[in-house]
Amino acid sequence: MSSDSAAPAAMPSGVDEAADELRRRVARQFGRSLHIRTLDTGSCAACEQEIRMLAAPHYDLHRLGFFFTPAPRHADLLLVTGPMLRAFASAARKTYDAMPSPKLVVATGACALGGVYQPDEFSYGSVAAHLPVDVWIAGCPPSPLALLHGLMVAVDRMAEKASRLTFIAGGTL
Amino acid sequence: MPQWFVKGLRRGVVTTRYPARPDPLAAVLPGPPAFRADALTSQIADDLVQICPSRAFSRTAGTLIFDAGACTWCGRCRDRAPAAVTSSGEFELAVTNRSALVKLIPVRGDASKGEVTT
Repeated sequence: MSSDSAAPAAMPSGVDEAADELRRRVARQFGRSLHIRTLDTGSCAACEQEIRMLAAPHYDLHRLGFFFTPAPRHADLLLVTGPMLRAFASAARKTYDAMPSPKLVVATGACALGGVYQPDEFSYGSVAAHLPVDVWIAGCPPSPLALLHGLMVAVDRMAEKASRLTFIAGGTL
Repeated sequence: MPQWFVKGLRRGVVTTRYPARPDPLAAVLPGPPAFRADALTSQIADDLVQICPSRAFSRTAGTLIFDAGACTWCGRCRDRAPAAVTSSGEFELAVTNRSALVKLIPVRGDASKGEVTT
């Protein structure tokens, strides 16, 4: 994609190196054990259902070193679903602030990515409008396999794939 | 515990091998659409912008802009234009850069079209 290849060139030099260094540090610190706090900011609960399936025997995310925690203070990663309702914004901010650094925020599902709801007086329309998002997981809802892939991308144990896709059938899909 | 062991040997392990190996169930997962550039005319592209319920499409001259992050995989575009829209079969769509999910799809016979519609 021309726009994708053009974007990094426009950045000042050193940004890529800093990003790579940050990624290496995250992998070093979170690579083996990572605790997840899920946060529902107004989703329809389809994403929650898929997230819950991660702990089922077929997916068993614990084998990969991921664990769910009920306390933000014990969490390394905030798995956010929903379009970030304004009524929930301060609670989301408090949850984020309560997490110890370094921390990751993963926006999950089409609402959280800004697809379904437009920003209005009820919602921000996307998670990134209110919290700094590190990884975006597309899907409505994303399947547990997609969530596993997203978590592995977040800790840099798998490479992201979507930037190489063109969504043109017969092309380099 | 010994019962679990025997059962496990007899019935096999149910846990997926993903991400070390591909999961066979991934083939039946819903996914975002893929587009046939040769069948995607400007009329169809305008149509898709209109019918998409989650505003995953927008238009510029000669291009259909598809936001895979906004797509809810509802399949309405596939139903409307089965010749131009197919299933991509992709599910590994996590990105660290949101704009990597926005794709430009070339539209056929759209070069003369000057105006920009969204």
